[in-house]
This record gives sequence, structure tokens and C-alpha cells, in this order.
Amino acid sequence: MNRLRALLAPFLGLLFVVLLFSVLAPESFPTLYNFRTVSTQTVVVGLGAIGMSFVIMSGGIDLSVGSVIALSSVAAAAALNAGWSAAAAILAAILTGAICGLVNGLLIARLRIMPFIATLGMMGIARGTAKRITGGQKIDAPASWLPDLVSKSSADAWLGLPPGLWILLALAALMAGVLRRTPFGLHVVAIGSNEATARLCGVNVPGTLTRVYALNGAFAGLAGAMLFGRLSVGEPTAAVGLELDIIAACVIGGASLSGGEGGMLGAMIGAFLMAFLANGMNLAQVENYWQEILIGAIIVAAVALDRWRHRRG
Amino acid sequence: MRSPRKAGALAMFALLLASCGGKADANGDALLIAVIPKGTTHEFWKSIHSGAVQGSRDAGVAIYWKGPSKDDDRDAQIRVVEDAISRGVDGIVIAPSDNRALVRPLEEAVKEGIPVVVIDSPIDWEGKVSYIGTDNYQGGVVGARALAALLDGKGKVLMMRYFEGSGSTMQREIGFLETVAKEFPGLDVISANQYGGSTTESCYATAENLLNAYPQIDGIFVACEPTTFGMLRALQDSGRAGTIKVVGFDATDKLLEGLRTGQLHGLVLQNPFKMGQMGVQAMADHLAGHPQPKLVDTGTVVATKDNLESPEIRDLIHLDFDRWLK
Repeated sequence: MNRLRALLAPFLGLLFVVLLFSVLAPESFPTLYNFRTVSTQTVVVGLGAIGMSFVIMSGGIDLSVGSVIALSSVAAAAALNAGWSAAAAILAAILTGAICGLVNGLLIARLRIMPFIATLGMMGIARGTAKRITGGQKIDAPASWLPDLVSKSSADAWLGLPPGLWILLALAALMAGVLRRTPFGLHVVAIGSNEATARLCGVNVPGTLTRVYALNGAFAGLAGAMLFGRLSVGEPTAAVGLELDIIAACVIGGASLSGGEGGMLGAMIGAFLMAFLANGMNLAQVENYWQEILIGAIIVAAVALDRWRHRRG
Repeated sequence: MRSPRKAGALAMFALLLASCGGKADANGDALLIAVIPKGTTHEFWKSIHSGAVQGSRDAGVAIYWKGPSKDDDRDAQIRVVEDAISRGVDGIVIAPSDNRALVRPLEEAVKEGIPVVVIDSPIDWEGKVSYIGTDNYQGGVVGARALAALLDGKGKVLMMRYFEGSGSTMQREIGFLETVAKEFPGLDVISANQYGGSTTESCYATAENLLNAYPQIDGIFVACEPTTFGMLRALQDSGRAGTIKVVGFDATDKLLEGLRTGQLHGLVLQNPFKMGQMGVQAMADHLAGHPQPKLVDTGTVVATKDNLESPEIRDLIHLDFDRWLK
């Protein structure tokens, strides 16, 4: 019940944004075509936010996600170039991300390096590796069905919406179950709430944390495959700063950077709220700087509201 | 629709409402053309914007100028294109930040019945109405010849690249390197693989590092405004400005000042105003049913200290933005 109450404010925020722009841009905003547009624009950030939710729940942070997404998109393009199938290319991207995440997890759980520092290092390593592999250029890849996953005019659309969105929603639902219903998920929450207590209760803290970062890496890898789909090229300089959008989505959705709080539904609401806001302001011809100012204000407001709710008990 | 732009913080909602009110005739007589640059912070884009405004006045159409939220961010620019399609504009004039990544969204625009004119940077796509821009390779050739003339065809030269994946500057860089290899055997390229990055700060830092690494340089080629400015600042800072012949690209007040004081020796100038103007004009003509040429070169010239006051160069550099962008 408490968790649902925490979701009320972000949900009302999302509703407000959708209604506001439906009024301000009635011809272009509330159309199926535009919702399709926003849904494809949200897939990459949304997938990243699923993995990031686990990291933030555990009391950690992962700054390397943007770079890992870029590296994974390059891996997908390279796999396609090597004649692999599109499915194999997606797996290659996921695996690339998972390896980066696993390294993060080992550094954090075994060497006890602060998450901020370990992932800051990976941010540079993954970005540099992506540029190294591609020689600094974007790499082209042969046509496949991968871009179709995140295309508005997708041949595989279901209920008028692209497969990428359904994949996002299905995975978010699945991972919400993992977080709330499995021992692994409960351990993540326990570590984020109080690591010392969790350890005393017999939770395998290093093992759980390693898996959390590997899982986050795998989601960043999948997000990278989707980014490749959107760009149709492997792009080593893409997604700079995207980790901050992903973290913002989680925070707007009620996640606390001190750990133990947050959830999948909140993160999805946060991701869609930011996407609708950016899209609506474009359609209503608002200057870009307003977007940045407003999203910044919303992040601060979301956290302030959360604090206030906590004090009231 | 344009007037409330300069208003303060409280005017935001007024602005939203105003833009809403003016848009009602989008399906009526007034044609609305989206003009989408790669970024909005460099002066180059202001020139394109001015030209687009002039083009819209000439052709009697309305334009809607919208850049990506981050300069040179491909995904952000894709979003702007997608939102323009959602808005239902009548045509798109775009400077694509990538020669492949923008193909899919632009194809979607065409599928929705929105034609596309490409300006400034080329794109690997046949679906466009027309490409209007600088022949960038030729810009590099012109730059190489200017630098060779300054150095009497011999010496150690260095080239600092822009950022990885920038198509237009890559063409200039290739044009420069190939021309040096082919026409000027006396020029020795000592470094041509370092990237400055997409911001002026990162170009400045890279330029400093390059200057430290090579104490003996005779000539430098840089292929766009941020790299030229970063290089100029680094030269000034290290006290080597004026001792090395520098040929750069594009004109801003700071770069022209460098040219006048002998710290820069040549600036290859494009004609961004013409790109914006002809881009909007070509789209309006296309929408009116007139066939357009597939390729229009807007040309390059080299400005030097000596020809700065010639009418041809003056028109390219002393653009009074206020005449268009109030």
C-alpha cells in the first residue's frame, strides 16, 4: 500500500503532462502516431532503467551505462557485419553489456571499490573500447529486422505499437516480479536497506551485488541493441550522458539513491514522463532550454516530495 | 508565434498557448516547413537560420526552427524529426548529423507524405528532394592549396580532426590529406589522427596537447569552427600564435580577429546563409510542383588578411543576424 502511495505523485505527474500537451497541441500530441513515436523514443532509456532500478535498490549507482550502451550497439553492428543473424547480434550486445557489468560487480563486491568510482572507470573504458573497435567511426551494418523492433511503422506492430515497447513492458513486469518475489530480489532490497543487517542475516552480499551489476549490464546491452536499431549504425559516440537520464527516470519514479526504495513501475513512469515532456514541448514549439530546466526541476521536486512524505511517516 | 520568444520565465505558458493558437492553419493555406539543424549553439547555425528566414520571406511560407537538445546528438535529432512528423509539417529541411542514422526517420517522413531537402551535410539516401551544401571534399582541397601556398610547398604540417563520425568534416579532412599527398610532396603530415571532440573546450585541450607533442610545426589545417578556435586559443596560450601558418574553416568574430592580427592565415568560408535560404526556397518550389536539381554546391572561398575587405568576402562574414532573428 505504501509503495502504491509513493507512485501516486509520479503517476499524476505523467497524467498531467499528457493532458497538458493534449490541450496545448491537440492536433499532433494525442494521436496514435505520436504515442508510437514516444514509445520508440522511450525504449532505450526504459530498458536501462530496469537494470538501474536493481542497482539503485541495492544502494549503488552505475555511471557506465551510457558508455556500455554505446559499446553494445557497436557490438551488435559488428556481429551483423560478421554475418551473424539479428538474434545473435542482440545476444552479442547483451553479452557485451553483461561482461562490462560483471567487471563492475566484481570491482565493487570483491575489491570493495565504491560503485561511483568503479563505474566511473568503466564509463571511460567502455567508451574508449567502443571507439577503438570502430576506429572512431560509426560502423554500418547490413539490413536486418533489428531496426524494425523500434520502428514506428513496424511490420510486427501489435495493437499499433512497435515490438520494442512490448519487450520493454514485458521485461519490466518480469523484473518487477523478480524484485518482489524471488530470494534474489529480496536480498537486493535487504542490502539496500541495511547492508550490515543483511550480512548478519546470512545474505551473500558480494555474490548478490555482483549479479546486480551484471544484470544491469545485460539490460544496458539490450538497450544498446535497441539503440542500434534506432540509429541503424553502430555508433561509438552515441548515448553520452544517457546514464543520467536513466538515473533520473528511476529517481522521478520514487527510487532513493540511499537504497532500499524504488520499483519497476515507478521507473517506467519516470521514463515515459520525461519522454512525453520532451516530445510535447517539441510539438508545442517550446525552446530546448525549457526542457532542460523543467526536467531538472521535476527531478528535484520528485525527491523533495518523497522526503516530505517520509517525514510525515 | 515568433514574438514571445524573448519573454521571461513566466511567459512560458503564454508561449505554449500562443504557439497553439497560431498553428490552427497548418492544414490550410500557409505552408509550414521544419528547418532542423545539427545544433543551435554555433554561429554557423545562426547563419543557416537567418538564411532560412530569408527563404521563408521570399517564398511566403512559414518555418519552424528546431535543433536537437544536445548539439550533434544523433538520437536527439532523430527525435526532432519524429516530432516534426507528428506535428504534420508540410516539408522538412535538415542538416543531418549522421549520413546513415537519419535515413530511417526521414524515410518515415516521406512515407507520411512529407518531402525532405538535405542541406549542409550529405546523407546516403536517394529519397531526398535535393542536397544543397558545400562540396566538403572540395573545401579540403582548397584548404590544402591555401596552406601549401603559405608554406611555399614545403614543411611539417599537422591536422587536428573534429569528432568521430562527423561526415562533413571528414570529407574536408580527406580532401586535405589527398590533395597534400597528390600535389605537394614537400609537405610532411606529422599528425592527422587526433580528434578534438565536439566542443570548443575539448578541441582546445586536444590542440594544447598536440602543440606540446610537436615543438616543430610549420603549418596546421583544421576543418571547422570549433577546431579552428580551439587551435587558435592553444596557439595564443602557448605563445606560438603567428609562428605557425594556420588554415582553418568558417568565420566568427574571434577567428576574423585572428586573421587580421596574423595569428590565422586563411579561413575557408562556406555559405551557410545560402544553404538555409536555398533549402527553404527549394522546398517551397518542390511543394509548388517545380522539379529541383539533385545537387547544389553552395561553394567555398578562402579568406585571407588581404581579401577581407573585398565585397565577396564581406557578404559572407558580416552577417547582421538581427535582420532575420529578432
